[in-house]
Amino acid sequence: MIASLAWRNIWRQPTRTALSLTGMAFASMLLVFMLSFQFGSYDSMKANILRIIDGFGQVQPPGYKDDPEITKVIRDPSGLIAELESLPQVTTASARANGYVLLANGERSFAAAVAGVDPVKEVRITRIASLIKQGRPLRADDDAAIVLGEALARNLRLKVGDRVTLLGTAMDGSVAADVLKVVGIFRTGITEIDRQIAHMPLDRFRETFVMDGAVNEVAIIGRDLRDIINAEPRLRAIAARHDAVYLNWGQLQPAVKQAITLDMTTASLMYGTLVIVVVFIILNTLYMSVLERTREFGVLLAVGMKPGQIGRMVWMEIIFLSLVGTGIGIVLGMGLAWYFGRVGVTFEGMQQIFSQWGLPPRIYPRMTPFRVLAGPSAIILLIAIAGIIPYRRVLGLEPVKAMNA
Amino acid sequence: MMTEPIVSCRGVNKIFGSGELQVHALRDVDLDIMPGDFATLAGPSGSGKTTLLNMVGALDTPTSGEVVIDGQSLRGMGKSELSDLRLNKVGFVFQAYNLVPVLSARENIEFVLELHGMPSAERRDRAREILREVGLEGLENRRPAQLSGGQQQRVAVARALVARPSIVLADEPTANLDSKTTEELVQLMYRLNREFGTTFVIGTHDPRVMEHSKRHIELLDGRIASDERS
Ligand SMILES: Nc1ncnc2c1ncn2[C@@H]1O[C@H](COP(=O)(O)OP(=O)(O)OP(=O)(O)O)[C@@H](O)[C@H]1O
Ligand SMILES: [Mg+2]
Repeated sequence: MIASLAWRNIWRQPTRTALSLTGMAFASMLLVFMLSFQFGSYDSMKANILRIIDGFGQVQPPGYKDDPEITKVIRDPSGLIAELESLPQVTTASARANGYVLLANGERSFAAAVAGVDPVKEVRITRIASLIKQGRPLRADDDAAIVLGEALARNLRLKVGDRVTLLGTAMDGSVAADVLKVVGIFRTGITEIDRQIAHMPLDRFRETFVMDGAVNEVAIIGRDLRDIINAEPRLRAIAARHDAVYLNWGQLQPAVKQAITLDMTTASLMYGTLVIVVVFIILNTLYMSVLERTREFGVLLAVGMKPGQIGRMVWMEIIFLSLVGTGIGIVLGMGLAWYFGRVGVTFEGMQQIFSQWGLPPRIYPRMTPFRVLAGPSAIILLIAIAGIIPYRRVLGLEPVKAMNA
Repeated sequence: MMTEPIVSCRGVNKIFGSGELQVHALRDVDLDIMPGDFATLAGPSGSGKTTLLNMVGALDTPTSGEVVIDGQSLRGMGKSELSDLRLNKVGFVFQAYNLVPVLSARENIEFVLELHGMPSAERRDRAREILREVGLEGLENRRPAQLSGGQQQRVAVARALVARPSIVLADEPTANLDSKTTEELVQLMYRLNREFGTTFVIGTHDPRVMEHSKRHIELLDGRIASDERS
């Protein structure tokens, strides 16, 4: 009955309660939507950036990430690839070899990072093929072919159909030299990539660089980055069995990870402020309602209710109020996130900046239990803690003084 | 055979405030309330009636002297223990506005029974029964605001009685009632006293209440000026 009494007490001042509920519901709705939106944009940002070149994770020889020398190799990747692809989370694993070379066209020459890739599998990992602006992507039957970034092609004055000379150091230390035909030119929108990156068929690359079937990395992809993140322990174990290391998305793109962390920190400050403001407003309302009922509490004490019982009743009131308020907010926030999750959110004139960060022009909020519940839970938790203030006031009441108040 | 008093006050003094503003509300009060008493406590305004009732009902503690309720001394008791003592031994009826506004008549009564830990079905029956006893049959589900002053006071009497306390204390229970309603309420308390032997102490100015009393205590300036049985 104390619970029922607490519940009814909330509705004594229907207008006041409605206002409190609106405040809490609005704040919770905002938190649910904003977290879903923000994390949703991180999701697309990560996926987009990783899908340009890296993949959702990579297996590399130890030390390759920090010092990518062509001599650091996985000798025979076929077993590794088969094991990786046997995981349900991994849809494709594709081997690559990388060389830092000089590309030359007549008088002009520029440093570039050339990757030997499997043209068939790579289509499922990188978006290079879909970002081809002139010519065509690499094909399975290509041999002495190359696709390169738009800025790199421009610097070298190369067009589709032109030939380019490649000069580098082979795995055995000899000079690796080749002449390749430009079949396609891509634009990712990310300056460093468009200025430095070129792809050629893996087999030709291994011949040119005398690699004898070895590769420098195996990139993997799954349906969802989250799946791959969840599979990390198993991916690590597989890599270890092949004397290699597993690199997760954050290790592949530390700058993106940092940017997200920074953005999350500033956003958390804002969310935290919102939560605290709401909690104080609710606390103030409840404290007033406790003050107003001093006489009544005196009577309850007189009939034998213990101060602690009245205190708990008041505490329950604040918790009920916050459960209802945040509950409404969660429903509304989920509704908003669901709607915009379908139609997406666009920001006029921001596309340029967005694409630098790998963001698509439309951002889709995405809900997870954490994103939906984090904000409202914080409100409820803080309100429950703040409830100690009215609780303590009730504990201090003396029946006679209270009744005469 | 000697019967033990339900409440006994020995050398009770109550001083409010300090220094210039000090008020000596009760002076060396010795009083025994006996089982079955139907006592009225009268005296001019400010003579200490409310203060004394509060002592007798464990709502407040004396500055000096001792109050013993049903063999238990209030000395050294904490807030929670005093609450328990009131819950188990004392019923209160105040001047007005002493029901919980969001609870119905029946729930106001059940509420006290719940504090006693009585199971819900039993609570409900007991509350119905006592409401019938005080003549409120059919009004069980009304909230206090939907009841007249006299009806509210009947609910208050029912609530005070329902847990079968050793003593019921009423402080000016008729102050806000017209004479017909006053008469009915006094009759009710008087009947309960006769039929069930419930002990009542009623603080009042009202001659219509005093008419029925079997014991009349007069306070003057915080002292007991007279204490007569009739
Ligand atoms: N909390 C308090 N603080 C200070 N003085 C008080 C307090 N309560 C009562 N008094 C004083 O104690 C004296 C006795 O008050 P009490 O309320 O017991 O009188 P009463 O006989 O009930 O009067 P009334 O008929 O007006 O209800 C009065 O002088 C009153 O002003
Ligand atoms: Mg009084």
